[in-house]
Amino acid sequence: MAGPIINDATVKTKERKITIDPVTRLEGHGKIEIFLDEKGEVSNAYMQIPELRGFERFCIGRHVQELPVLTNRLCGVCPAAHHIASTKALDAVFSAEPTATAKKLRELFYMGQYTHSHIAHFYALAAPDFVLGPSAPSNKRNVLGVVDAVGVPIGAEVIKHRSIGQKVQEIIGGRATHPVFGLPGGVSKQISEEERAQMEEMAKSCVEFGKFTIKLFHDVVLANKDYLGLILNQDAYYLETYYMGMVDKNNKSQFYDGDVRVVDQKGKQVVKFKPSEYLDVIAEHVEPWTYMKMPYLKSVGWKGFVDGASSGIYRVGPLGRINVCEGYTTPLAQAEYEAFRKTMRDLGVTGPVHHTLAYHWARVIELQYATERMLELAKDKSITSDDTRGPWNPPKEGVGICEAPRGTLIHHYASDKDGLCTKINMIVATTNNYAAMNTSVKQAAKALIHNGEVSQGLLNKVEMAFRCYDPCNSCGTHSLNGGPALQVTVRKADGSVAKTLRNF
Amino acid sequence: MAVRTIIVGVGNPVLSDDGVGIYVARMLTGRGIPGVSIEELPASGLELLDMVLDFDRAVIVDAIQTEGGTPGDHYIMQEGDFKRSVHGTSPHGFNIATALAMGRQVVPERMPKEIFFVAIEAEDIVNFHEGLTPKVSASLSAIADMIERDFIRRDG
Repeated sequence: MAGPIINDATVKTKERKITIDPVTRLEGHGKIEIFLDEKGEVSNAYMQIPELRGFERFCIGRHVQELPVLTNRLCGVCPAAHHIASTKALDAVFSAEPTATAKKLRELFYMGQYTHSHIAHFYALAAPDFVLGPSAPSNKRNVLGVVDAVGVPIGAEVIKHRSIGQKVQEIIGGRATHPVFGLPGGVSKQISEEERAQMEEMAKSCVEFGKFTIKLFHDVVLANKDYLGLILNQDAYYLETYYMGMVDKNNKSQFYDGDVRVVDQKGKQVVKFKPSEYLDVIAEHVEPWTYMKMPYLKSVGWKGFVDGASSGIYRVGPLGRINVCEGYTTPLAQAEYEAFRKTMRDLGVTGPVHHTLAYHWARVIELQYATERMLELAKDKSITSDDTRGPWNPPKEGVGICEAPRGTLIHHYASDKDGLCTKINMIVATTNNYAAMNTSVKQAAKALIHNGEVSQGLLNKVEMAFRCYDPCNSCGTHSLNGGPALQVTVRKADGSVAKTLRNF
Repeated sequence: MAVRTIIVGVGNPVLSDDGVGIYVARMLTGRGIPGVSIEELPASGLELLDMVLDFDRAVIVDAIQTEGGTPGDHYIMQEGDFKRSVHGTSPHGFNIATALAMGRQVVPERMPKEIFFVAIEAEDIVNFHEGLTPKVSASLSAIADMIERDFIRRDG
């Protein structure tokens, strides 16, 4: 196959405002605006997102037990993650400890979600940049182009294993998308030995596909000096932030359950907290030009779109998780984690990896982990037990946290004595990353656009800065008052922002 | 052999008109028409691919917003048309054409010979609300009639 197209010719723009809209290959529309100064240098860059409205209001007054099936309607991209976080919030609301069987089934279901989601992101959203090159024509730079380049059989494998992820969710969750099985203290459905055996076979195939994906990443990305250069580019794709992610008691990465760990720019633990303590750790900043809030570490404070120890911006998702953990509990993922650490060490990086494009490497390691964990759980014959639900108590307030594929996902509900929802707060993964994403976009724009010279490839490289985070913005925004959110941005003739009008 | 037809209603049933495809699918299901599969899909495009494989004909019913469009109007489109259309803010909107194109590329023998889109002009696709806006709601039964006549019963 032809080599990837990494750079193309630049064209001098006469415009002072460059808009990338819609951002291609994202679930939901995003919009980046880049503002140039008199000299054609980047003065500012924003990533704006469309908002869906009124979700909190939609939920208030409903029975809290409806929330696992309602909150997963927030978005068609990661419904399973919402279902899990919501179900865990109900465990807390009803003081209901799930049975061992229920925990295993939930986690197995969730490994199906990860397998499905990480495959889709890597092959459909990330691979076009790496296999075809960030400057390949945009009509070729998609999953179809990837399949053309790597071969149809691989495309078939992608479809097959993504479908397996869905199938596992369907077997356990009742439906592949928008599952319905989570109950406080358990799950609604026992699985049969036949289903378990079927999942074991499917999981074996996924483990092999995970191996293949890691090899592909090595062959295509890491073996290419230009890409490695792009990944290691500290001007465009490098932020020294805090990181957040879930770990077990040995600080091994966890997706379904555990404590949430935060580390600093050097890798030192800042805090390790339980779901119920999240408000002690996280505060939310509001910017006038977007409805999406920007969470930051309360103990550090908000300093704007800058990185460093004095800025409370943290990152979640694959890079966040790999930076807070001390490895994985499964052998293949652990081996690749060690390879990742060694490569970075050889390049002089000893602490957390701050290179934004390393998200993609972390994601393929996580795909391997999810498939191995899926196999471990599917092999466990005790998951067919009928002990799928534990006792529960009168409802109160509760918080549930899981790691969505895109990062830490928090659901917080309060209930009255009849089980009706009186309060709901959610911090979704994309929201957790929103401040960092904007910082990354601004940094990449500043590094890649000079003297008013832009090209399609350059613009795509700016997009790459946040595509790593795999944002799914449709559920990232919610207006608390539920009212219509209107915002008009007025810009001066010289391209800078004059003022922002808003109704909130 | 009978033409194997699937109708897929796409959308989010709690996001106002975004869910119109789901409502059409439910209406058709309620009619108990024999020999057709009717599914709801509240998700993005790659899931759609799983659903339509091994059918002869797929009809995908979804919301759309066009500039100056009249809510409740509908447009019949095919794969080529869809690639050029601009979908609304719904998260599933982006991927459908790509997913189907990937199916044609990777598993062409399992893809439906005919894929039609019934795109229904939506008024509100950003406010969470269970139910459709009045004009879109009023168009439902005529659209379901059309689908039944032109796509389900066409080949007897």
